[in-house]
Amino acid sequence: MVNETLAHPRETSLKRLSRDKIRTVTSGTFTRLVLEAEGPIAVEFMSYGCAHCRAIEPVLEQVAEMVKAQEKIFRVNIAVEQELAGSYQIHGTPTLVMFLNQNEVGRVEGPSPTVSSVLAAVTQPFQS
Amino acid sequence: MNGEQVTMMQKQPKPILLFNDECAVCRQIGHWVQRSAQSKSGETSILVQPIGDDPEKLRSLNPDLDIWDAYATIHVLMPDGSMRLGGEAVAETLRNLPNTKWFAWTFATTILGFRPFQVVLDVAYAILSDVRPLFGCESCGKPRVMKPFEWVTKWAKALTRRSPHPIHTPHFSSLSAARRRPARVSAEPLPQSSHS
Repeated sequence: MVNETLAHPRETSLKRLSRDKIRTVTSGTFTRLVLEAEGPIAVEFMSYGCAHCRAIEPVLEQVAEMVKAQEKIFRVNIAVEQELAGSYQIHGTPTLVMFLNQNEVGRVEGPSPTVSSVLAAVTQPFQS
Repeated sequence: MNGEQVTMMQKQPKPILLFNDECAVCRQIGHWVQRSAQSKSGETSILVQPIGDDPEKLRSLNPDLDIWDAYATIHVLMPDGSMRLGGEAVAETLRNLPNTKWFAWTFATTILGFRPFQVVLDVAYAILSDVRPLFGCESCGKPRVMKPFEWVTKWAKALTRRSPHPIHTPHFSSLSAARRRPARVSAEPLPQSSHS
């Protein structure tokens, strides 16, 4: 019987902190980091309570690492940033919205939580 | 870094039960625990708090507390800095409630190195956790037992083309479903981090 007790929490915490490759943007930083930034940018509109967002999170972290030279990936917590989600007409989570030079160039709702699917979602809009 | 994290950690004299306030089942259970934990003098034996949306506030309670993990399974934060998860967290909660502590000792009972009552509790928790969407937690995903029915329904809808709505992706939580959920409970906010 495995006792599900974490007695030594700090080691795993450090791993998690270093693993977090996706920066959270708020309504206060969205314009500067997303709209005014140069180059391709993908924004994940998500919520921590959403099971599908939880499933996609490690995949998105992996994809963020793969594309970090060409593209930035951010997240927006719609439970906090409701106005921002409303202004981009987010109907559910996770929704990936791709931006280039202040314009939305693509959007994918609920991508399959696989590297190929998420990689295609965040790169294809910039290839056309 | 380690020293900083230790100072970040809140000193809690009592265990804290974290619950998913976006899930109707979890919210009901959280309210029940909150009511049950109060003695006649108004003292509470276990603190009950919603998980919320701020990963940093959660880390201030325990540096290892990851918000994704907190939503994935029930957590009880112990005063000594450890955490109980899943069935262990349920047992710990029951041990702290005046009405249930009389039988909660059974979960620690060991027979030949085996804790039979804890195993039953773990299985019961796993089943309840999986079927939560059936009882009003749209954000919890789909229960595994429902997946075959979902595939058959999708297949039938696609075959007959009788559905007026498009078939949605299974990896998406609709906000229209979230709006049908009752408003969030007004629980006490998480304690502020000492360094913020």
